[in-house]
Amino acid sequence: MAKEIVTPLTQALSEGKLTREELKSFMRRSDWPALRLLVVWIVVLCMTSSLIYMSWDSWLIWPAMFIHGIVIVHHFSLEHECVHYTVFRTRRLNDIAGYICGLILVLPFKHFRYEHCDHHTYTQLEGEDPELVPMPQNLGQYLYYISAVPYWRTKLTELVRHVFGRLTDEEKRFVPEVEQKTIYLEARLMAAFYVLVFGYMFATGWYDLIWYWFIPLLLGEPVMRFVRMTEHVGRPTVAQMHENTRTNIVSLPWRFLCWNMNYHAEHHYASSVPFHALPRLHEKLKGHIYVEKGGYIGAHKDILTQLFSKSEGK
Amino acid sequence: MAREKVWKDVIRADALEKKWVTRVDFGVRKLAVYDTPSGLYTSLALCNHGGADLCDGYFDGHVIECPLHQGAFDVRSGKPICAPTTRQMKTFETRVHEGMVQILT
Repeated sequence: MAKEIVTPLTQALSEGKLTREELKSFMRRSDWPALRLLVVWIVVLCMTSSLIYMSWDSWLIWPAMFIHGIVIVHHFSLEHECVHYTVFRTRRLNDIAGYICGLILVLPFKHFRYEHCDHHTYTQLEGEDPELVPMPQNLGQYLYYISAVPYWRTKLTELVRHVFGRLTDEEKRFVPEVEQKTIYLEARLMAAFYVLVFGYMFATGWYDLIWYWFIPLLLGEPVMRFVRMTEHVGRPTVAQMHENTRTNIVSLPWRFLCWNMNYHAEHHYASSVPFHALPRLHEKLKGHIYVEKGGYIGAHKDILTQLFSKSEGK
Repeated sequence: MAREKVWKDVIRADALEKKWVTRVDFGVRKLAVYDTPSGLYTSLALCNHGGADLCDGYFDGHVIECPLHQGAFDVRSGKPICAPTTRQMKTFETRVHEGMVQILT
């Protein structure tokens, strides 16, 4: 029999921060909010792709690819929601969307799902949270993380390791033994997909995907690193959810791009609540969680202030 | 010799949350009783993956989802239907008798 653990949600219910009826209302699922949002999403992707098309013969293609890349890397937010099965009520649709996002981002969906489960179990606990981004100790480390170089090194090494049928000891902790072969298969299928894509480009001489997909992905990833740092970095490395996670109040375009994942503390409190209900959950929980009213910039000011005060203290 | 299973009272049927999952303390065990379109079903309340209380999770039709990791089970059979759950959930045969929900245990 599994050992009982008290989730932040169960705790919030027992402390009266949330009633059971409210929770049931927040958790209600539907396919429609995500389908509507996806229509807008595709329109935005078409618009940012058009910027690349229109600037094809000039240096402006680089800022155009950067803007398009910002949208591309936010498929992470959609994949993340799919990991929680909170995008669509129809569970299969979450899997389909999650696998597609995984291909766009080179982020295998199933492996991410297992890894992310442990992130929710051990949020911000050093040595246990597989997604913990350590507080940088100096400006160099801070900038290096945002460059996305360590991210790509880790992710590509991970993919190659899985293609060759290997998991690290840490991964073996969160991937059940019966699922290890599925993780290897997922990585091999993903690698085969990229071989086919690049093979097709070499064979036909049609390299547009490089300009519309891969370069924007590389250019945009630092923005995703910048965003992801705001979720936990600089918050205490303790188990208490009201301390270890930061909710960032950001403007509508950013909320759209990140599928409301700026309400990150609310998400950690109740990960069964779909993205479209997170603003309502925020209104309920905002007195019990850490909220950064200055948004992503405010969060980074906080991180940098802590970083410089540490440096001065040495 | 194996003990013969008997029907035991769990909770009054009219005390169940309609079309949802109800937590019931049953001796040292915690049970989850599900009110589904095809009748009542009962399982252990703790997720066999991470130990979270399934009764705080999302319930839809015949699927209960763990509130911690969103692993899910079909409450009719206990079958795991998505990662990270991989093991069958313990379920109990359930009936309503004279206004009481009973399980065979």
